[in-house]
Amino acid sequence: MNYIIAMLLITLGFYCLLIKRNLIKLIIGLSVMTDGIHLFLISMGYREGGIAPIAFGEWLKPPGFAARAVDPIPQALVLTSIVINICILALALSLTIFAYRHYGTTNLSKLKRLKE
Amino acid sequence: MTHAPILAIVLMVFGAFLTPVVGISARKLGLKRAREYFVIALMLAELALVLSMFKQVWGGQVLTYKLGGWQPPWGIALAVDGLNMFVAMVVAGMGLLVAVYSYVYMERDTGLDQFYTLFFLTMGGMMGVTLTGDIFNLYVFFEIMCISSYALVAFRRKWDSIEAGLKYMIVSSFGTSFILLGIAFLYGQAGSLNIADLIQKLEGISSSNLIVPLSLFVAGFGIKIAMVPLHMWMPDAYQAAPSAMAALFSGATATVGIYAMIRVVYILFGAFAIGITFATLGLVTMVLGALMALAQRDLKRLLAYSGISQIGYILLGIGLGTVLGVQGGLFHLFNNAIYKTMLFMIAGAIVYRVGTSDMDQLGGLWKNMPVTGTLFAVGALAISGVPPFNGFASKWTIYVAGIEAGRPVFTIIALITSALTLAYFLKALNSIFLGQRPKHLSDVKETPLPMMFPIMLLAVLCVVFGVLPQLGIDLVRPAQEAVMNSSGYISAVLGGA
Repeated sequence: MNYIIAMLLITLGFYCLLIKRNLIKLIIGLSVMTDGIHLFLISMGYREGGIAPIAFGEWLKPPGFAARAVDPIPQALVLTSIVINICILALALSLTIFAYRHYGTTNLSKLKRLKE
Repeated sequence: MTHAPILAIVLMVFGAFLTPVVGISARKLGLKRAREYFVIALMLAELALVLSMFKQVWGGQVLTYKLGGWQPPWGIALAVDGLNMFVAMVVAGMGLLVAVYSYVYMERDTGLDQFYTLFFLTMGGMMGVTLTGDIFNLYVFFEIMCISSYALVAFRRKWDSIEAGLKYMIVSSFGTSFILLGIAFLYGQAGSLNIADLIQKLEGISSSNLIVPLSLFVAGFGIKIAMVPLHMWMPDAYQAAPSAMAALFSGATATVGIYAMIRVVYILFGAFAIGITFATLGLVTMVLGALMALAQRDLKRLLAYSGISQIGYILLGIGLGTVLGVQGGLFHLFNNAIYKTMLFMIAGAIVYRVGTSDMDQLGGLWKNMPVTGTLFAVGALAISGVPPFNGFASKWTIYVAGIEAGRPVFTIIALITSALTLAYFLKALNSIFLGQRPKHLSDVKETPLPMMFPIMLLAVLCVVFGVLPQLGIDLVRPAQEAVMNSSGYISAVLGGA
């Protein structure tokens, strides 16, 4: 189920990036796509009824810590990736503000003065 | 020095945070340009650090550094083999020269504290991508490098830099999210993130499961190195970025992108069979880049398209997959970093003195800038592969490799593209330095000496590697061996105490 939703989000973001020309919509598409990837990553490490991956006390007794804990690595990856994504989002939005000031539009296909 | 690999990264990232402090305190104390001296000193230290690893790595050793003492594959490890070493040297060397060049070039801009902070972050990201032995770490540093380069492209906040920055950012973030998805697939299948460990684990997985992550990685890194058809952002970005940064991007960042491509596709996936795709894409890239460059009127845009074309040569050499092909490709990567940086620096010098890089408004500058003109001619001849210069040596290696690999058609197309390269550079030379000089250009002065120095140094390198091509081949041989045979890398990372 998670995988289906993750793939759906990635495809939606992909579609949005390819079809839409409004800068704000493009940025939304980008963040939807990365969120889909995050969901995909985090579901890989998920385990039904799993425990937090902190080796402590009674969790170390059988049936064993490794058999019960969720995988901590995807969580660490997603955390890092979310931070990176915030940087991109902030920079993209601030650039959009500047673009709007210079061009008076957020339509990417109208930003083509460089080619002339 | 056992800590050299991590210090090379930390020094740059630390420098990024120290630069504003140095800048502010220099202003308080009334010291002029202390910040620039600080930047150059730090870059010198960086180059010294990288070179301190040189001897051991060239002796065939693979340096590993385990962060926090965690044994790989559990912890993050840095691993330096011949290939990393080669790229790290190019990056550190070009970084130093660009820092020296920026000393004068950027003096008219404001906000230089931020500029040098971003410069250091880009350098730190590049060093991290180069030296790390962990695939997710590679992604994080790749993002650091990318995000700071978006900001550098948009640095002057004029309409052109904003437009280029936005386009670059959207296309490139698209690419990096592909890389992240590829890493997710890899982790799902192999359950590891350490490159050496992944190489071993991927051997046990059927190749049909690996096609999706492989193609994601190729698309992601392909956007960064501006492989056709993923090249649209590059001319805009290089035209609008400050020339010093365009020099850094075309010299160092493109090198790092190709390094990441080789590391992941060839060494991690061991997918030498994909080489023929690379070679074909390389051919398309070089022909299209050269044809587009012919039609340009702006010097920096022309250089950007010619950069795309040169990337094609490198991909062709590497894609051939033979010993000679990989050697030629890597040697060309090295040469490309030299003369591309140099030509962008010359374009910057013209912008600095005249105020425009539009070739229609330039002309007859040879009388004003004879030395710059000569250096531009050297760069133009080197990039078109004319014999006494380095471009000839590496292109020749690629031609021979093409024939040896039984693909003479590739060699013929590469030769024709080389002639095209000469054509558009002669056109540029003609319209900038020769011909009628417009009246308002009559009191243009020669390039200032601190800017001239890195250009001259690079020109000397062009001649040295052209006259002594064996030197260059010797330089890339350990890198080529590291590409072709990763067993030493695996045992050094996983087995070492």
